[in-house]
This record gives sequence, structure tokens and C-alpha cells, in this order.
Amino acid sequence: MDTTLIALGALALSGALATVAGCAEDLESDVGSQSNPNSQVQLAPQMGNIHRYFNKAISGEPVSYGLYVAVAGAVAYAIMQMGLNPILALILGAGVAAFVHGAYAISSYLGRIVGQSKNFGQPVYWDIVMSHIGPIVGHGFIAVFCMVLMAYLANTILGNPFPLPLIALIFGITVGAIGSSTGDVHYGAEREYQKYPFGGGVPVANHGDIDVKAEYGLRNGMDSSYFCARLGGVLTGICFGLIVFLDGWRGIIGDILQGGNVISASIISIVVGLIIIALLAIANRKVEVFARDKYGPYTK
Amino acid sequence: MDVSLLISLAEITIAGAIINASVHFVPVGGAPAAMATSTGVGTGTTQLAAGAGFTGLMAAAAMASKVGIGGLGFLLILLSGAVGSMIMLGVTMLIGQLIYVFGVGVVPAADKCEIDPITKDPQKPYVTPGTTGHGIPTVCFISGLIGAALGGLGGALAYIALMNLGFTPAVAGMLAVGFFFINAVLASYNIGGTIEGFHDPKFKKMPNGVIASLVASLICGIVAVAMVL
Repeated sequence: MDTTLIALGALALSGALATVAGCAEDLESDVGSQSNPNSQVQLAPQMGNIHRYFNKAISGEPVSYGLYVAVAGAVAYAIMQMGLNPILALILGAGVAAFVHGAYAISSYLGRIVGQSKNFGQPVYWDIVMSHIGPIVGHGFIAVFCMVLMAYLANTILGNPFPLPLIALIFGITVGAIGSSTGDVHYGAEREYQKYPFGGGVPVANHGDIDVKAEYGLRNGMDSSYFCARLGGVLTGICFGLIVFLDGWRGIIGDILQGGNVISASIISIVVGLIIIALLAIANRKVEVFARDKYGPYTK
Repeated sequence: MDVSLLISLAEITIAGAIINASVHFVPVGGAPAAMATSTGVGTGTTQLAAGAGFTGLMAAAAMASKVGIGGLGFLLILLSGAVGSMIMLGVTMLIGQLIYVFGVGVVPAADKCEIDPITKDPQKPYVTPGTTGHGIPTVCFISGLIGAALGGLGGALAYIALMNLGFTPAVAGMLAVGFFFINAVLASYNIGGTIEGFHDPKFKKMPNGVIASLVASLICGIVAVAMVL
């Protein structure tokens, strides 16, 4: 079969996997409350808001996801070297990463909450640990498996010269950077502060005054995940999917248009990339103008 | 010592300085931006710059495996790294913007300038009282693209230098990732939290960071050269 066609198929699959991985990663960080918005969950008991959120800022998302995906990639690589089926090796690698993830999640929850119990009266809710750890590890497994499979495709079909664990590490760091830059804003600026009127940033004076009530009963991490799955999670998935797809697509377009000449194909891929960047800048400006016209300035 | 080793050492040193400079352009609001309390992307400086830089590094490595690292290939690898990095940060900033506008309902507004130097739009009336701006206005977006381009270029230059020293792509990639982190963290310390882009007063601190990175990168370069001697 034509190698370009196979590369295009692998790229489309990578884009789809990246979309699922990005979405799962963001929703996992909402269930477990990780990254920047977790600063508010950490601050809440000091402001008198006793809460039932999971509290799991193991580290920044890029570093923690870099660790999980690199663990999965390294284990899968080792198993593949033993001669096992690659897909089975990737699943086993993601499984080991899920155990690592679970261990960090529980220890960080207990460490963070116990640290606040004595001085601020925040209880350790064991039912929160038991009910949340499944969705945390489950979402994490989906994200990690998708990324380690993407790393395998990049290594074997898309011509990336880096070894599997290194590509996995880079994908993990990238998805963490994307998740904490995009989807977390929906969780931090909107979901945690739903009791304040829609349409404004959170003033510093209100930091820590997070919403502790859910649509029904007391709020926990899974309520946040349910809410953020409508916008933040989906857009995070689209973001990672677009990055993986567009960056690979420009290279393949170059190969298709100038298959025989590597230099011309490379120049075309760079020009296509620059056109994509220009379109992104125009789209950003359009969204900015829309918001300025629609919402207007603050009147008080 | 071979002249090619000295050239690689110089490339690594310059790459570190470029990476450090690049981080100062990237509009990062840190944790407050995740609550729409400050302008920029809602994550840390090092993390976002690394995410963009590594995407560029992968694009550069893929290009290097196609065209080789000599002659015109050198230029193409640098450009490919820059473009890959710009796509990553451009898409991330755009999607972040969509969440700010449609998920949080705020207008993108910079706090460090009265009017956007590029679009000439007034900024202050659109800033929520009690915050230091929110979202990614055009000046921040353009600054971010410049930063991403420099970051991808710096990462690609370091990768080429390491390849020229004789490392395999795998080892050169690992060293380039570590090298990128060293310089991004140095820049992050220099920034000290958040920065909106080239219009932010903190941007004037950039020369200090660049000097620090020149020194750190020179040491890294000497270690890398010593590894191949």
C-alpha cells in the first residue's frame, strides 16, 4: 500500500487519539482537582469553606502527565523488547502507569487534607477517596493509553526518530500544558465560582471562597467533571487533537504535493504551517472582537 | 580541539539564550489566570514554554530525519521547529480564548497597557474590577507566537548542535529536552510569576535572564562536548 496513505491514516488515528486523550486528561484533572484551580481548593478551608472536593495537586499537570506517560512508554518499550505483541505491551504499560497514578492520587489527597485538618478543621472524607479514585485512575488510563499509542504510531509509522519513552514523555508534558491552559480555566474560573454572577473574572478578594454546594447536595469532584465535560473537556480534546493533526498534516501535504523532492516538500510544509498560524491569529482576533461587542465594558 | 566542536558549543550557548528570551514573550498568567484573575494563559511559564518547545523539537527532529542537518537542511530544521511550536501555542491560546469568552464570559483584556499596541483597542474598561485582566488579547497572542517561534528555534538549534557532536537522535533528543527545561526554568525565575508579553514592564528584565542562560548553557555545552571527546 502507498506509504503516504498509511501515514495519513496513522495521522488521522493519532489526531483522534489525541482528542480522546486531551478530553480524558482534562476531566481527570477536574475529578481529582489538579493544577492551578486546585490552589482554590487548597485555600478554601482557610477561608472557612469546608469542602468535599478531591484535592490532588501532585505537581503541575505537565510534569505529572509526563511522568505517567513516560512510565507507560518505558514499560511498554521494555515489554516489546521481550518480544510481546506491541498492543498488549502498550496496554500493560498504561496499566502500570495507572497504578502509579492511583498511588500518587491517594497519597497527595491524604497529605494535603491532613495538613489542613488540625488548623482549619477540614475533615478527611474517606468516601470521597474511595468514590473518586476509580474515575481518576480510569480517566488517567484512557489518556495515558491514547498517548502511548500515539507515541508508538509516531515512532513506527510517522518517522519520528526519538525512542518510544521519550516521545511518550513529550506527549505527556504537552497534554498537561494544554489541559492546564485550556480546560482548567472552565473549572477554575467558572465551576469553582458558580455562585458569583456569570461574565467576570474572579477578584483576588474572592479567592478561596469556592462554591461547596452542588446542583443537589454537597459538591464533589465528580459534579465538577460532569459540568466541565460540556465545554472545558471537549475543547481541551479538540485542542490537543488539532495540534497533533495540523502539525503532522502540513508535513504530509508537503509530501503529497512534492513527493519526489524532499526539500520542496519541507518548504511547502513550513509555508502551510505559517498559513495555519495566520488563520489562528485571525480567528483569535475575531473571537476578541465578538466578545468586546457582545459583552461591552464593565460599568461598575 | 576540533573547530566543529567549538561551533557546536557556540550553537548550544546561543540556543540557551534564545530559549530563555522566548519564555519572556509567552503570555502566562500562572494560577491566577485559571480563575480569570490575570491576563494570559492559565498555566506556569516553564510548563507552557516546554509544551510548545517540545512540540517544535519533535517537528525539528522529524524534519532532520528527512532532510539531514547540513546545508539548507539546517535552515529547514530551525524553521520547522519554530512553526511546530507556533502551531502548538497558537491553537492552545485560541482554544483557551474560546473558554474565556464562552465558558467564563469575560472580554480578553490586558492590564499592563491602556490600549492594545497592535489593535489600538482600549483595555482598562474591559478588565473586571479586582482582577489584573483576563483572556488573551491580540497583543498577548502575537507576543506568544513570537515566543513560541523563538522557543522552537532554540530547541531545534540545540538539537542540531547535539547531533553535530555525534549523538544519536535518541540521546540528542533527551539532552535537548533537559537543556530546554534548564533554560525555561531560569527564565521563569527571572520573570517571577506572570508576564503578559513584550508590552509588560517585566519584559525589561529579559537581559538578566539571557545572561544567566548564556552562562548555564555554556556549562551545559562544555559537558556535552566533554561527553563526546
